[in-house]
Amino acid sequence: MTDMKHTDMEEINIATDVLVLGGGLTGIKAASEIAGSGYKVILVEKDAELGSQKRPESLIGLEEEYKGLQDLEDKIKTDSNVEILTQASLVSAAGVTGDFIARLSKGEEVIEHNVGAIVVATAFATGALNEKYGLSPADNVLTQSQMDELLASEADKEKLANKAVAFLVGLGQEGNPLVLERVLRSVLALQEIDGCDVYIYAGELKVASNGLERMYKESREKGAVYFKLTEKPEIIENGKTISFFDTVARRDIEISPDFIVVEEELRADQLNEEIAEILRINVGPSGFLQNDNVHFFPVRSNREGIFVAGSTREISGLPSAWTDVENIAVEVRDLLGDGKKSVAKNKAVVDETKCVICLTCYRCCPHGAIYWGDKKAIISPVACQGCGICASECPMDAIQIGGFDDGAMNEEVKNGVVSGNGTPRIIAFCCQNSGFEAGEMADVFKLQLPDGLRMIKVPCAGKIDLDYILNAFVAGADGVMVMACHPGNCKSENGNTYAQWRVNDAYRMLEEVGLEKDRLCFVGTASNMGSGFSSIVVDMEKRINELGLSPLK
Amino acid sequence: MIVVKRKPFEEIKTMLKDYKKVLTLGCGTCVAVCLAGGEKEVGILNAELSMARKIDGNPIDLGATTLERQCDMEFLDELENVVDEYEALLSMACGAGIQFLAERYPNKPVLPAVDTTFIGANRDVGWYEEKCRSCGSCVLGWTGGICPVTMCAKGLYNGPCGGTDNGKCEIHQDQPCAWFMIYERLAAQGRLDLIMEFQPITAWQNQKPRTLVQPGYEKQKEAG
Repeated sequence: MTDMKHTDMEEINIATDVLVLGGGLTGIKAASEIAGSGYKVILVEKDAELGSQKRPESLIGLEEEYKGLQDLEDKIKTDSNVEILTQASLVSAAGVTGDFIARLSKGEEVIEHNVGAIVVATAFATGALNEKYGLSPADNVLTQSQMDELLASEADKEKLANKAVAFLVGLGQEGNPLVLERVLRSVLALQEIDGCDVYIYAGELKVASNGLERMYKESREKGAVYFKLTEKPEIIENGKTISFFDTVARRDIEISPDFIVVEEELRADQLNEEIAEILRINVGPSGFLQNDNVHFFPVRSNREGIFVAGSTREISGLPSAWTDVENIAVEVRDLLGDGKKSVAKNKAVVDETKCVICLTCYRCCPHGAIYWGDKKAIISPVACQGCGICASECPMDAIQIGGFDDGAMNEEVKNGVVSGNGTPRIIAFCCQNSGFEAGEMADVFKLQLPDGLRMIKVPCAGKIDLDYILNAFVAGADGVMVMACHPGNCKSENGNTYAQWRVNDAYRMLEEVGLEKDRLCFVGTASNMGSGFSSIVVDMEKRINELGLSPLK
Repeated sequence: MIVVKRKPFEEIKTMLKDYKKVLTLGCGTCVAVCLAGGEKEVGILNAELSMARKIDGNPIDLGATTLERQCDMEFLDELENVVDEYEALLSMACGAGIQFLAERYPNKPVLPAVDTTFIGANRDVGWYEEKCRSCGSCVLGWTGGICPVTMCAKGLYNGPCGGTDNGKCEIHQDQPCAWFMIYERLAAQGRLDLIMEFQPITAWQNQKPRTLVQPGYEKQKEAG
């Protein structure tokens, strides 16, 4: 079995400056942490001021942290390791990990920076949900943000004395701990005001976040009245009266609050999509910059050296955003080190005499590890993950992956089909992250495996060329299996998808040439599927026995 | 680049039915870039043919080579020593390359494995759009960089015609009107005056194969 070994190493120099996009609370923290590790940071903010100038909604009740933030902001402003660019934005980002060329625009000026890593630290945006409750903006109808603003001003606060305030939460959208946290912080702040009564009309109360349960209990003890409802209450005269039928008291409960506060939805920053396009990173569900993929470490994007923090990747409160930042600081240190990096020479090698710079590899690489020079595609040894998707898509077979070159792979196939005792010869191309592990598990546990099964390890199912599949049949395989990770589980994002596409293409071809399609199969596997692997390959052998041995032998 | 599409497998198989030893020739330029005739596609086609012929009980021996370009004699010369081993040559190059190959080796049957489709641009992996009909008298300077010969269903040099329909062409709602696009582009650039300039008609009839000698090379051509 070929093992992926990179014994031939070389040392390269990489840029160690770090670009941080977003000068909000998360960005400031990121700049401070990374500069603290000794790297120069360029902090880019679209607005005129950094984020902590504005009192952020999520900070009510976090006065200490807020104070700490202002200190941090002051600190980075005087730190010679931090260059702050306000009213600036990212225009383009060429190059790869360790050597990005970021072009930033500030007014008329375009500034170019060579950076080794990029941190995206955008904020979340809020959106009013008044319509969901049939409420129009009015003096008595406030959004959560408007309530936060009132509470942030000592003068405005007084308006709330001796008033009744009703909150609507978790009935206009799926509950969310951060949405609830904003409500609870307001509730607790209102309870400090003389004579202020608070009512909360809630659907689900999602308290799965640090301290929320405590805040909820505290507010109840202090007299907040919670109504747990399964549907929206009846709202009369644009919030003048709220009514619902209480199934315990068996009567209508009617309250006429002075103010009605409507929950807000939390959305991805609208800058995200533009940034993702420039940085060539994936946009996940609802505009956040990370896909649902179990293989991603929390702060990683699909590109090595581009990190996503806090609300850039999912709705985050300050504590979890800062945890992200601390993780990123560690990742940045690991990646950039002292600017010298030892990399494998043969991770992915482009043959200059064959490459036609068709850009297929550049466009297919899920890691954004490829760019091009005068004569050929260039694969960054720092950014490359060795998945081999590029090699299998290259129309000129110009890319070879260390430990998995085409010659060696075809040789393995040939050895695998040497006929034995008349049992079907089955070539199973197995992703090393899933199918191969499952197969080894089946072997170690002595589960049933066909005699003629030959597993061939690939770095990712994305490395399984269409011609590997076809040539296995040409060489005399009775069956060919492609064992990839389950959807959404691929370490290289879509290597399994490429493999599936190629198998579909191969089905069409087998039909054209007159070979039974059942001799080929695509299987989604996981590394812990030892017995599943066994039953799948045993089934395959059965199917082939029904078809008989290959006519191509 | 020149964009080609592989012929249906059945058609290629039928063309090759009487030959038992064939050399499949890829081309390392346009057809490689458009993912239809590079080294990988040669390998895939050969694998298919080899399987099909074996199943049919009529095995075929296939060679594979991918040349830098089949539209240059010097690169075709590289085959000189191997061509005799084969009964026929199967080319995955564009029509120009295939014809040059046939001219270079006039005694060999030369067969096309692809259909040459158009001159186009690469929108994304495997996705191409026709952009030029090589009409020989480019008007893009007047038309805001949008070719009316290619993009207009009538190939009008002066447009639009009466069939323009709110930005669409009368032939189909999915087909944008080229002259509408030209108008929009020129208007945005403040160059609308250009659309009023009359472009002389092109003599499409009696077209014969064109030969082009770049200025400065006439003498060399004469000298042979």
